[in-house]
Amino acid sequence: MPTAVSLKKGKSPRTRRQALIGAAYIAPSFILMMIFNVTPIFLSAFYSFTKYNMTAAPVWIGLDNYARLFNNKVLTESLSNTVRYVLITVPSQTVLSLLIAVFIAEHMKNRYGSFLRSVIFIPVIVSLIASATVWNIMYQPKGGLINQFLEFLGAKPVNFLGKKSSALPSVAAVAIWKASGYYMVIYYAGVMNVPSDVREAAIVDGASSVQRFWHITLPILKPITYMIVTLGIIGSFQVFDLVYKMTGGGPGRSTYTVAYVIYAFAFQDKNYGYASAVAICLLIVILMIHLIQSLFFKEKDA
Amino acid sequence: MKKKHVSPWVAVGVVLVTVFAVLCLLPLIYMVAVSFTDSETLYIKLKDLRPSLYNYWYAIVKRDFGTALKNSIIVVVGSCLLVNVASSMAAYGFEKKPVPGKEALFQGYLATMMIPGQVILIPMFVMINRAGLTNTYSALILPMVGAFGIFLMRQFMVAVPNELLEAAEIDGCGEMRRFTTIVIPLVQPALITLTIFTFNAAWNNFLWPLIINTRSEMRVLPVAMSTLASNSTTNYGMVMAGATLTFLFPFILYIFLQRQFVEGIALGGVKG
Repeated sequence: MPTAVSLKKGKSPRTRRQALIGAAYIAPSFILMMIFNVTPIFLSAFYSFTKYNMTAAPVWIGLDNYARLFNNKVLTESLSNTVRYVLITVPSQTVLSLLIAVFIAEHMKNRYGSFLRSVIFIPVIVSLIASATVWNIMYQPKGGLINQFLEFLGAKPVNFLGKKSSALPSVAAVAIWKASGYYMVIYYAGVMNVPSDVREAAIVDGASSVQRFWHITLPILKPITYMIVTLGIIGSFQVFDLVYKMTGGGPGRSTYTVAYVIYAFAFQDKNYGYASAVAICLLIVILMIHLIQSLFFKEKDA
Repeated sequence: MKKKHVSPWVAVGVVLVTVFAVLCLLPLIYMVAVSFTDSETLYIKLKDLRPSLYNYWYAIVKRDFGTALKNSIIVVVGSCLLVNVASSMAAYGFEKKPVPGKEALFQGYLATMMIPGQVILIPMFVMINRAGLTNTYSALILPMVGAFGIFLMRQFMVAVPNELLEAAEIDGCGEMRRFTTIVIPLVQPALITLTIFTFNAAWNNFLWPLIINTRSEMRVLPVAMSTLASNSTTNYGMVMAGATLTFLFPFILYIFLQRQFVEGIALGGVKG
């Protein structure tokens, strides 16, 4: 360990002094971390066992909140919507970013290729609320850019965000638009790490570019793919801003998601205890995804 | 070098990637274009475009977008300063000082990065309310310090040679001066990456400011943007002007600091 002074049993006054100075350096962020990152986790767990509306003190009700989770139709619907949303966004953004990254790395290692990479990254820097606002206008049934294009093609305009069947996929499309450039950058860095002699040997052996993709590039990118899929699932599972701004959960409850109902239960219904129970369940799901991913990685190391 | 011949499949691929890049940009071009029209409908023709900043003026002056812009800038600057100072201090303490139990604490910090924001939202809301800090800049700035910044800075602290610090100490260079004149300049690239990461997080933060700063004079850009769009559903030009303003600042940074920008965002998501 490259620490300045190693820890030993018999501490010299100098070591003790250094330890104190170190503690002073750590202290400011420690206090903030404790207040805003650590304490809230335990408080959240505590609230989840209580009935709490912030006007009176929390009342302990044991597992009641959790018992009421399973027969809550709003919650089961939002869970199935969230899973559907993950199933739409994660595969599309992963495959899209992979194909683009590999293609640019293999065939467009020039200034034009790097220019396109910069352009494809731009949606990543647009805030979710600005993205939602722009796409809301593009989705307008009367004269929105997409419907004008459909009219131009002779098709009937579609009320993308106003129909139960199309609202969730339309929100997901914005997420894919925003995320693909991000994952493309990560994949691109991964492809650039593929040893060039591996690639050249394959070319000499007469492997076609499709064969090289399946048998060399894809296996090498496997750890990155695990990571990108995990990040994608976790990110999509927490979708809030887009839903809040684009549909407000509607039409009906067709775009209610887990993160949105936590917000609604807590800050619209003032049912903080119940919302905390949902939040704790979300935490358990996210931790399980992390655990599954780390198991995959262990398997690879062995 | 032999001149390579381009197969037709590669040509098709180049066209497809180009089309995708255009599709990535199209909503933003549309956003800027509509912000320069004063049409009440969306059936906009090229002749409706005018080089007038009226929509921007209207959003900033008449719809309090200027206040939100000012608030966002204050919050972003405050957050970047606080996160940079607190994170580099902590990273220095963790990496270079013999603090008992520091590795266990550091592992604990790393674990907090897995916690979704919604889980800590309610208790934070309760605490900030109890502390009477609603509708303040502090409510938005103080929670920005997180494990990622400390983790990132510590990775760069490893490269600061201990011999250099020891030599400076022997030469009579005091503790504070060693930190500010030797350590900080050596980890400067990491500070830039962390600044961009914090800038993005603070600039785009929506849910937390939405619930904690409810007074209109304390709104930040994304919240003001959201309200503007809900209250003026047909004034498309002004709404798009607001969206363009929200986009403009990160975009300028992206143009000038592209490499650091991509790094700051990519590292932030991957978190080691």
